[in-house]
Amino acid sequence: MIAVRTPGRRERTEKQEEVPSAGGTIASSSDLKAGDRVVYPKQGVYRVTGLEQKDIAGQRLEFVKMTREENGASVLVPLGKVATIGLRRVASADDIEGVFHYLGATYDDPELDWKVRHRDNVERLIAGGVLGVAEVVKGLHSLSRLRPLPAKERELYDSSRHLLVNEISVSLDVPDVIAEDYIDYALMPPAGVKLPLKPPPTPVELKGPPWKRKKPAASEDDDDLGLAELGIDLRAIEGAGAGEAEESEESEEGEEKKPAGEDEEDEGVPVKAAAVKAPPPAKPAKPAPPVKAPPPAKKAAPPPAKKPAAPAKKAAPPPAKKTAAPAKKPAPPPKKKAPPAKKPAKGKKK
Amino acid sequence: MIRIVTLSPFDEGDIAFLSKTLYRSFGVGTENAGERSLPRKAEQPDGRFDALKLLEDASPVRAFADDKLLYLTDVELANPKGPLGEPPAWGHAVQGGDRALVSTFRFKPRGVTEASIEIYRRRLTRESIHFLGHLWDLHHCYDARCAMHPSWSPALPDDPEFELDAFCRDKSERRIRLAKT
Ligand SMILES: [Zn+2]
Ligand SMILES: [Zn+2]
Repeated sequence: MIAVRTPGRRERTEKQEEVPSAGGTIASSSDLKAGDRVVYPKQGVYRVTGLEQKDIAGQRLEFVKMTREENGASVLVPLGKVATIGLRRVASADDIEGVFHYLGATYDDPELDWKVRHRDNVERLIAGGVLGVAEVVKGLHSLSRLRPLPAKERELYDSSRHLLVNEISVSLDVPDVIAEDYIDYALMPPAGVKLPLKPPPTPVELKGPPWKRKKPAASEDDDDLGLAELGIDLRAIEGAGAGEAEESEESEEGEEKKPAGEDEEDEGVPVKAAAVKAPPPAKPAKPAPPVKAPPPAKKAAPPPAKKPAAPAKKAAPPPAKKTAAPAKKPAPPPKKKAPPAKKPAKGKKK
Repeated sequence: MIRIVTLSPFDEGDIAFLSKTLYRSFGVGTENAGERSLPRKAEQPDGRFDALKLLEDASPVRAFADDKLLYLTDVELANPKGPLGEPPAWGHAVQGGDRALVSTFRFKPRGVTEASIEIYRRRLTRESIHFLGHLWDLHHCYDARCAMHPSWSPALPDDPEFELDAFCRDKSERRIRLAKT
């Protein structure tokens, strides 16, 4: 069987491009047109319905209007925010094929530190593309082989599964139940079945939000430094994780969440204008306040550590590893083709 | 209300056992709506029945807004082939919808002994709970003791449990409550 790099690890540098890895992030609102189907990280598949203007607090703002396919809920995203919330194209059939080869690969080393795991998983859902979602499902699935998942991760497992099912269903134009069968056929093939696996795609290297990237410079000894910092960082991060995991169920149309917006520049759009149905901005649990707020004070510190990702793993404190790697997610390749248009009505009740 | 529709002859005792257990599992009343004809159009050249088409074409029965229809058949079902192959079809359902289908084709033979009939009934119940669970938006579950664990999983014993685990039960109860309001 083919082995897959475990989601716990971050040393994802070598190329192994038998099947393409995910991409397709939408860089600008000009890349969108009515009818496009896009994935809003942690929320699901939306269809762009058009542009809309609104006067908010004396300003005339332009929004992209999108409708969530699953339940018809609408959100308005300010034009200037399109690039920063992590919107991406629905995965192509090729991307999805890579997902299955990834799911079917062996996986033997789940990250055991739940804090690291949870934070990484949240990050994967936001910025990892469809393969990031698959990483979360596979990682938690593998962990569940060892022991039952704690409640919060059980929820995350279910909501990531939901997102993955949804995107596969849209991309391959099959009903959700069939998409889920495909997923589990790869994760736990029936006795006697040998899957025709190819080498899996490599998950994208994640940038990580600022609270992880801004590390003390003196990184002679990453581990020790990381440890010293652990208390501070982890509190912020746990909060993030907890908040994210819960949000995914509760405030589904919340556009304010700004999944990938942490490192955006201020574009002068008032936060509150972000969405019609938005919950109040800046959830208490959020480590990095959504739009304009400066990075947390404790991070007033120094530039990113220069060391490349250290292979030391479990023992090392979470931030040390990833922050070390400079943000270098490659620009996603242009999509080969638009996902197949699918009849909007799927017979869903709600 | 769950309305059971048979697409081939089923033993009354089996349906009674199923109804009783479904009520226990979901807290939703169950009614046997009787037999309807098998939609022949869903038959493929290889003799199997396209699970999606069969469920789509199965004759409707009188139902109300929140009702769920559970179709039972004994024919062999086929799933559309996926990127890695065709997952074995034990049934089908419209996620979040109102129609589910279970086939007994892959079950161990019902036999005539008390023990074999008991195993058959338990499996019928398990698969019914599984596909009805999809109607209440349940996803698959990693716990092999839960009815939402994939039906073909190598982790399933010969005579698997037919209840939902705590997570799936809670979730289904929330969905059922939500649907009622
Ligand atoms: Zn299923
Ligand atoms: Zn379960």
